[in-house]
Amino acid sequence: MKRLPLAALVAAFFLFLVFSVSVRQAVLLLVGMGMGAALAGARFGFTTGWRQLIEQRDPRGVTGQALLLALASLAALPLMGQFSELNAALGPPSVSLLIGAFVFGLTMQIADGCGSGTLYKAGLGVPLNMGILPLFAFGSFLGSVHLDQWLSLGQTEPVSLSAQFGTDGALALTLGLLALALLGVRAWVGSGKQWIDKRWVWGAVALAVLATLNLLLAGQPWGVVYGFGLWAAKVSVALGAFDPAANAFWSQAGNAQRLTQTVLMDVTTITSIGILAGALWVSAKSPSADKPLTAQQWAIGLVAGFVMGYSSRLAFGCNVGAMLSGISTGSLHGWIWVPLAFAGTMVGVRMRRRFGF
Amino acid sequence: MSTTQKLQWVFWLGLAGFLAWDFSASGPVDLRNEPPLIAAGSGQATSGGHCSMAK
Repeated sequence: MKRLPLAALVAAFFLFLVFSVSVRQAVLLLVGMGMGAALAGARFGFTTGWRQLIEQRDPRGVTGQALLLALASLAALPLMGQFSELNAALGPPSVSLLIGAFVFGLTMQIADGCGSGTLYKAGLGVPLNMGILPLFAFGSFLGSVHLDQWLSLGQTEPVSLSAQFGTDGALALTLGLLALALLGVRAWVGSGKQWIDKRWVWGAVALAVLATLNLLLAGQPWGVVYGFGLWAAKVSVALGAFDPAANAFWSQAGNAQRLTQTVLMDVTTITSIGILAGALWVSAKSPSADKPLTAQQWAIGLVAGFVMGYSSRLAFGCNVGAMLSGISTGSLHGWIWVPLAFAGTMVGVRMRRRFGF
Repeated sequence: MSTTQKLQWVFWLGLAGFLAWDFSASGPVDLRNEPPLIAAGSGQATSGGHCSMAK
């Protein structure tokens, strides 16, 4: 689509949100569009960065991601100390988190995109990611339906580094752990590597600014998975296939209320729509050119997308909700998520090769 | 029109259709109680859904 009609459509949707939903949701749509444009424009793929590190010992992607985490933490942790209205992305350390993060890391390599990656690539018009999106949503919904059973396997209360060590302590610990992770990367890639890439750096800076705006406006960190699950939950309820009152997760007051409201009032939904639109904006200038997939690759990719959605709910987020938002707001679960997802990715890149992606 | 472009139209029309259906089938929006534009400093507790939530 050309940019002029696209701009007109976005402006119309923005005004619709202003007059029919809320000004905040309209502004969050623009924040989401910025995220989509940054993700797609910089090709800021969490999945690709990890794969390049493993397969080519190329540290540029993970350096960009570490920069994003550091910048977002430097903004979010002090802001949360200042404003009591701002919530952290606190997930419980649990068996569900361990399994979910591992499986998510594995499947995101096969599906070639995490939560944000699936969104921006769908916005760019990559066929597999457009196909994955609805399956990711249903997987995320099914994961939320089964969440209480997974949690019964073992969990502890969420741990906030800010509550444990104060804002300064949490920030120092977060930055120290990021530096430690980069030392590990240095040991893996060896000497003589290029660490900085302009594309990854501007993507990291833009995303850190936009994630901070999301936190200030919405009062909660950037997330992707919840909105997807909500969409599928609403469809399932409308079809009479699901009774939320009989489910531990969806009968909770906040979730039950959101099922009765339009998804346009949901923060994660509106930023996700914005990401799709922002990526579409980028694709108007530089359309993506992907190689066609075989029927087997399509089938494997779609199954991986569904499992990725399911496991993202078990892991209390994807690369955005658990890793970026969890770590930048001082949640221990973000730090548990990363090594488990990375271990899954190490298996996933091999499976990806095996299936000829 | 290429197959990918057709798929793109299906995708976007599907999304637009879902949002239109959802808006018409859901309860009305209470415009008088809309959330503050900026949560930080508003004095109002935020209550949005997030993927890190266990409940």
